[in-house]
Amino acid sequence: MQELNVVGKSVRRKDALDKVLGKSQYSGDIKLPGMLHVKVLRSPVAHALLKNIDCRAAESLPGVHAVLTAKDIPESNTHGIIIKDEPVLVMDKIRKIGDPLVVVAAETEEIALRALSLIEVEFEELPAVFDPEEAMKPEAPKVHDGGNIQSIRKIRKGDIEAAFAHADIVVETSYRTQMQEHAYIEPEAGVAYLDGDVVVLRVSTQNPHFDCKEVARNLALPLNKVRIVQAPTGGGFGGKLDISVQIYIALLAIRAKRPVRLVYTREESMLASTKRHPYVIKYKTAADKNGKLMAIDVIVIGDTGAYASYGPGTLTRSAVHATGPYEVPNVRVDAYTVYTNNPTAGACRGFGVPQLAFAHEQQMDMVAQRAGISPIQVRLLNALRPNSQTGTGQVLETGVGFVETIEVAQAKALEVLGRIC
Amino acid sequence: MDVPWKKPGAKLPVLEGDKNMSKQTINFMLNSQKVSAQVESDSRLVDFLHEMGLTGTKLGCGEGDCGACTVIIDGQTANSCLVLAPQIDGKEVTTIEGLGSYEQLHPLQEAFIEEGAVQCGFCTPGMLLSAKALLDENSNPKREEIIRSISGNLCRCTGYTKIANAIEKVVRSKS
Repeated sequence: MQELNVVGKSVRRKDALDKVLGKSQYSGDIKLPGMLHVKVLRSPVAHALLKNIDCRAAESLPGVHAVLTAKDIPESNTHGIIIKDEPVLVMDKIRKIGDPLVVVAAETEEIALRALSLIEVEFEELPAVFDPEEAMKPEAPKVHDGGNIQSIRKIRKGDIEAAFAHADIVVETSYRTQMQEHAYIEPEAGVAYLDGDVVVLRVSTQNPHFDCKEVARNLALPLNKVRIVQAPTGGGFGGKLDISVQIYIALLAIRAKRPVRLVYTREESMLASTKRHPYVIKYKTAADKNGKLMAIDVIVIGDTGAYASYGPGTLTRSAVHATGPYEVPNVRVDAYTVYTNNPTAGACRGFGVPQLAFAHEQQMDMVAQRAGISPIQVRLLNALRPNSQTGTGQVLETGVGFVETIEVAQAKALEVLGRIC
Repeated sequence: MDVPWKKPGAKLPVLEGDKNMSKQTINFMLNSQKVSAQVESDSRLVDFLHEMGLTGTKLGCGEGDCGACTVIIDGQTANSCLVLAPQIDGKEVTTIEGLGSYEQLHPLQEAFIEEGAVQCGFCTPGMLLSAKALLDENSNPKREEIIRSISGNLCRCTGYTKIANAIEKVVRSKS
């Protein structure tokens, strides 16, 4: 075969040299002439009606260049990757701790912080809901006007009732998984400045094209007047797909007519960013006496927090992956995306699949126990193979490596442990 | 409104004009160069380095957990977010900018690239300085000692195996 320059070779990362020398310019490292510093005032309560914001004392503080509230957003005041349900700055209702209320641009970070402390906010607290199952009840406090069940994804295949009626083994368990912070090592950061009539952003982001559309929409600018440059990004794991600093800094660069910089502290990053969806999974499995799967009946409840973010997409993935890497002839899945007053949950490594894997793998172990076979036997017996049909009816023709993976793992276990589990 | 700095007894952020503290002059060695500078009494070393244009030292948490801001002070690693700039008076400080250059990489930098121990890069400067401090003290550390030397540096993407492999590669090439 012909020798190629790159393919088949071990190549150096293009950015590795700058990174080992400390020369990479992450957005927080960028200094621009006359650059102002931005801070965000955030809600200390989870659910409240916003009555009034008095910024007068903050505005008159020397060194403060702009103090902006929802009224200063030229258009839309909404963002969101799937549904535009999240305000850039809260107009009338606070839905979570950390909801943004006011942004300030000042000569120094200290002056911006002092300005925040001078802002008077009046709000009327509302009863809040923090448990997704509670939130699904009709009497629960409503996070959004349309109700707390944001969406339902359903999968139906075969005859569930008949399968459970004839099953020798039925395993029924409830699982709960926890919220998880991505904790990328670089907190969210960005700088914005004007290049003629184009607002330029250098930001820590995973989603520059989406950022561009959201900034343009909220600022009532055509797309070609907004330029987003992804700065070297210190980790994301799905958590930097949503909007963080982008709209604030674009707006303030235009209003203050000066370059601006916003770098979240770690505390603010944890407070404001999305999380992995915590799940409630009610999983029921039917199998024959040999451990062959007959049916699954699964309810998945994903707590998406105050705003949808990637919730509907995450729960769709969970529904599709509820069967795991196994062939199941009869399937019923209901996957709910539910609003609460918790931190917003969004994309996070695995996108709804790890939560389900936690559940279906424990189900498989329990089926094996009941059938009197080993955990490996039950998996091989039910494994997806070439020409298997998935829970959504797709026939997998090629690229089904599950059985080979188990066999390699088995051989490795024998080598390392001297036995097969 | 209940923001942290408005809690009873909490102090407002200090403004330039309010400061009773005067600037003070410090003399120290920075990456083998003599430096004399005026610093604010309450300025953190990490911020002071950034003001001097040395942005290779990263700030990840600001409370000494993540190690992204690791520098070497008189041979010992330190989180520069927990060191005040005046504290380095009379001391010798090494930052990532003092480790190597485009023309001449430090063997650790070379090994990090070769072993794929760099991904997002935000923990990399701190990792490299922790590794350098170890090798300066012990030229032939065991794998466990290498792992211990970077235990104060969090990495969220590359994973610790490749980083430890890179450090081990330098040790093996020397011995």
